Amino acid sequence: MRTAVGIVASLVMTLSACSTGERVDLGGGSSGRLVAAIAGEPDQLDPNKTSAYFSFEVLENVYDTLVEPDADLQMRPALAESWQVSPDQLTWTFHLRRGVTFHDGSPLTGEDVVYTYRRIIDEELSNADKLSAVTDVRAPDPSTVVIRLQQPTPNLLTNLGGFKGMAIVQRKNVESGQIATHPIGTGPFAFESQKSGDAITLKANGSYWAGAPKVSGVIFRFIPEKSTALSALQVGEIDWTDSIPPQRVNQIKDDDSVNLAVTPSNDYWYLALNEARKPWNDMRIRQAIAYGIDRDAIVAATSYGTAAKNQLAVPKGSFWYTDYNRYHYDIEQAKRLLHEANASPQNLDMLVTTEYPETVTAAQIIADNLAPLGITVNIRTVDFATWLDEQNSGHFDMLMMGWLGNIDPDDFYYAQHHTNGSSNAQKYSNPEVDRLLDAGRVETNQDARAGIYRKAATIIGDECSYIYLYNPSVIQAWTKDMSNYDARRDKAIRFRTASITEGGTQ
Amino acid sequence: MTTCTPADTTTAEEQTRLSAVRLLAGNPVTVVSAIVLAVLVVVAITAQWIAPFGVNDIDVPNALRPPGGEHWFGTDELGRDIFSRVLVAIQASLRVAVVSVAFAVVVGVTIGLIASYRGGWLDTVVMRVVDVMFAFPVLLLALAVVAILGPGVTTTILAIGSVYTPIFARVARASTLSVRVEPFVQVSRTMGTGHLYMLGRHILPNIAGPLIVQTSLSLAFAILSEAALSFLGLGIQPPQPSLGRMIFDSQGFVTLAWWMAVFPGAAIVVTVLAFNLLGDGLRDVLDPKQRTMIEARRRSG
Amino acid sequence: MTRLGRSPVLVTNPVVRFLARRLLYSIVVLIGVLVVVFALVHVVPGDPVRIALGTRYTPQAYDALRSASGMDRPLIEQFFGYMGSALTGDLGVSFRNGDPVTVTLLERLPATVSLAFVGIVIALLIALPAGIWSALHEGRASDAIVRVTSQFGVSIPDFWMGILLIALFASTLHWLPTSGYRPLFDDPAGWLRHVILPGLTVGLVAAAIMTRYIRSAVLEVAAMGYVRTARSKGLPPRVVTMRHTVRNAAIPVLTITGIQLATILGGVIVVEVVFAWPGLGRLVYNAVAARDYPVIQGAVLLIAALFLLINLIVDALYAVVDPRIRLS
Repeated sequence: MRTAVGIVASLVMTLSACSTGERVDLGGGSSGRLVAAIAGEPDQLDPNKTSAYFSFEVLENVYDTLVEPDADLQMRPALAESWQVSPDQLTWTFHLRRGVTFHDGSPLTGEDVVYTYRRIIDEELSNADKLSAVTDVRAPDPSTVVIRLQQPTPNLLTNLGGFKGMAIVQRKNVESGQIATHPIGTGPFAFESQKSGDAITLKANGSYWAGAPKVSGVIFRFIPEKSTALSALQVGEIDWTDSIPPQRVNQIKDDDSVNLAVTPSNDYWYLALNEARKPWNDMRIRQAIAYGIDRDAIVAATSYGTAAKNQLAVPKGSFWYTDYNRYHYDIEQAKRLLHEANASPQNLDMLVTTEYPETVTAAQIIADNLAPLGITVNIRTVDFATWLDEQNSGHFDMLMMGWLGNIDPDDFYYAQHHTNGSSNAQKYSNPEVDRLLDAGRVETNQDARAGIYRKAATIIGDECSYIYLYNPSVIQAWTKDMSNYDARRDKAIRFRTASITEGGTQ
Repeated sequence: MTTCTPADTTTAEEQTRLSAVRLLAGNPVTVVSAIVLAVLVVVAITAQWIAPFGVNDIDVPNALRPPGGEHWFGTDELGRDIFSRVLVAIQASLRVAVVSVAFAVVVGVTIGLIASYRGGWLDTVVMRVVDVMFAFPVLLLALAVVAILGPGVTTTILAIGSVYTPIFARVARASTLSVRVEPFVQVSRTMGTGHLYMLGRHILPNIAGPLIVQTSLSLAFAILSEAALSFLGLGIQPPQPSLGRMIFDSQGFVTLAWWMAVFPGAAIVVTVLAFNLLGDGLRDVLDPKQRTMIEARRRSG
Repeated sequence: MTRLGRSPVLVTNPVVRFLARRLLYSIVVLIGVLVVVFALVHVVPGDPVRIALGTRYTPQAYDALRSASGMDRPLIEQFFGYMGSALTGDLGVSFRNGDPVTVTLLERLPATVSLAFVGIVIALLIALPAGIWSALHEGRASDAIVRVTSQFGVSIPDFWMGILLIALFASTLHWLPTSGYRPLFDDPAGWLRHVILPGLTVGLVAAAIMTRYIRSAVLEVAAMGYVRTARSKGLPPRVVTMRHTVRNAAIPVLTITGIQLATILGGVIVVEVVFAWPGLGRLVYNAVAARDYPVIQGAVLLIAALFLLINLIVDALYAVVDPRIRLS
């Protein structure tokens, strides 16, 4: 009996002692590594294909683009050292930085840039319309890339480098199919391993063109439970997180052990009504919904005072901001509009996802708001993959989602509201808006451009293509031991200059 | 053995039942839990009418208020009254528990009776299947069923019901087997009494005791199972309030608003405890084996 | 039975026969579980392959995943194919990220085993003394206290206890971390710090259940004749208790420990979710949320196998300890 117990006990101890293998270094010998906690797991690591923010949090450190935004969101040289524009504005010549290598040692050449852009255009990947004006891209020599356009494109730089969706990838990495799980880029950190459901590990790239990072690597842990992430930070188990419950922000302000950043961002949250389904194709009914919801309550319950209400997409503080306040919480007005449209919708299928709890919270408020109109909101909560699927196949009446990290007004409006926009899931179509958005793409005079987008945004708001809700703030917290890091407006997470003083975490 | 006429048996049964009630009433713990359960049943039936606020009355400016004043249990992150939500959630939990256990009782007892009555290969096969189900971790099975067939009240009831069916089958079978061999039953059969009459008159009253005990205990576990499934998001769906989901939602606020976690949890504990204590008290009285044990212990000191 | 040369001890040894029967029975049950899960998975509406691909959907990827997972073949063929590969250790590939299911399961196993082990140890450390003490003082106040406390313990939802423990010890006092796991040999101190709260959550509830069983087991044994005989022989009460009662109550204690351990394996899902514990339970939960059917199938199969294995071990120890079993 005792031997049996002994055998069982030692079996158990052996099993529980089994480390998780060499795949992820969770403790012990990871001195000098920065541990960051993000709220979800990337769906894949191919920068040209993924559209998930979690993926970009990681990829920001693995890849580079030709140009990239600085802290003020001005485009600066990155892989491209300099560039010239032809007088007719139709030809851009980029001169690549020399000596840049991919993580596997192979050099970066113009061919890689050409391959990347051609891939995005030819396969019509998620960001193809950023290159819609491009007629040709070629590399006359290994360190030069020439892009020809069919029309002047004032925002070409933001298109090429606004976020890592346009990151330069390596042909071999793509063709071997490895890129989605083992990306090879030129960035400050190289991909080391991924443990599904747990973490992704990056190690420092000593030959990074902007200088080797000060930390030996970054471990991105996935902690969707926000309070868990926050506690881990306060206890010292992790160094950085953006998975912070907004209701705790006031508590954290008083905590001396962490740095807290609450910065206005360029993200926005919105509601979209499916115009391919009756009766949501009737503008008056959409407007009725816009009058029927209590934006103040939604903003308060989802952000606890950290967000800025906004009835359009572009946030205050941006050059492209438009002051617009047409809607307010008015049930009577909503009823009047429904009456005018001779409609009494009974049910509204609202699609939200557990991946973004603010959508679930807002849905409950909206359900309460619309009840007096006789509308029963059926809240359908699904996981994100299903949510994307349902959105793309048009199986919804209304959904709530956000878009992140936009810089140029074209980013804010084109893909979502142009009839041919790649992200126009609500099937909005207005020829006047199309005309304005197309014109905005080629207008080189800043003020004229601002005027165009003001007009377009106003129509979009009036016709409720999206019902905009608010611009959330970037909320990030990191240990006091970490320096040279700042939260960015575009929410790009850059650890390339961060350093951790000794006495930090594992 | 003296001839047992139906009249004699009735009197003996009645006498047993009478002393059982007296025994029950004598145990204060059982009495208290019976009272608590009665209160809960009243709550379950009248929840909508006695709740001071609507369960989805959102009032964001009053979010996260501590217990006091109008809100006896405080408010949650959307300003909803927790007391009202707990009342309606208790109703929902009890409904799910009662229906699933009823399902389990009906199906389980039927299977157990038929199996033991018929005997032979049917009995063996059925009991093997029951054993298989018995061998499985409860929550996992319920999880698999609900997860695959889709979350919701109906699948939850189905899952919990099927998970608890085996135990009733076993109880019914065990009691039936022991009764079947009783002389008075054999005599009745020889006399040509019909099967249904046999079941109704002789067998059912004898298995009633253990069955009642098991029902009470299963109700307790059904409530815990439903709470766990709702916690995981697979049971009662929002915006319908459920105790498990309320606890889940409270996780992000536990340092700011302890009342969001404490009250729904306490409601579960009180309900389950009441069923458990009642079941224990009933077992001390109704289960002959237990009763004999207790009396034997008391006598031997 | 005459012995001719070497007798086939293995075949005739009743314990071995008993175990062989139980083993066969377990295998049958496992197959039964597989059938049920397989059937359930294929009852679901919607196209699991499509849903699993999500944003990564392209017609090529769809066809590739579909044929790789065998979903384009008839159901019976799929089932036997699955069974066949399962025997060689191949449980298919995750729909979510293409990792082999077997590898993922084995990666998550240590965490769950740690948790179950710590839980059952805590449970025994509490339930054994409490159950025995309570039985020895039957009818008195101390007995009542133990009985009421254990009744309470049985009535508490484990996820609620976990949340409250976290709120107190982690979020407020900052004594312990709120979540996470460290492998034992990598970082023993870290392992302990991380496993305490979830282990307590699992262990306290299990302790409550086990205390009641142990108490009634001890009472039953104490009521049996030979204990009274021993006492009447004049042996001091404590000696009687330790030697006779405990040894004979060992069987039910063993049984309930085994049952509880197996139950923990099934119920550990909720605790793992509360503590973000990277074990099998949380894996099942995430797989369910993501409709990752190969993982769900594999995980359920593994947990069922573990469950049956534990029962088999309990049966084996049972047979060794209790001579009555050998004769049946």
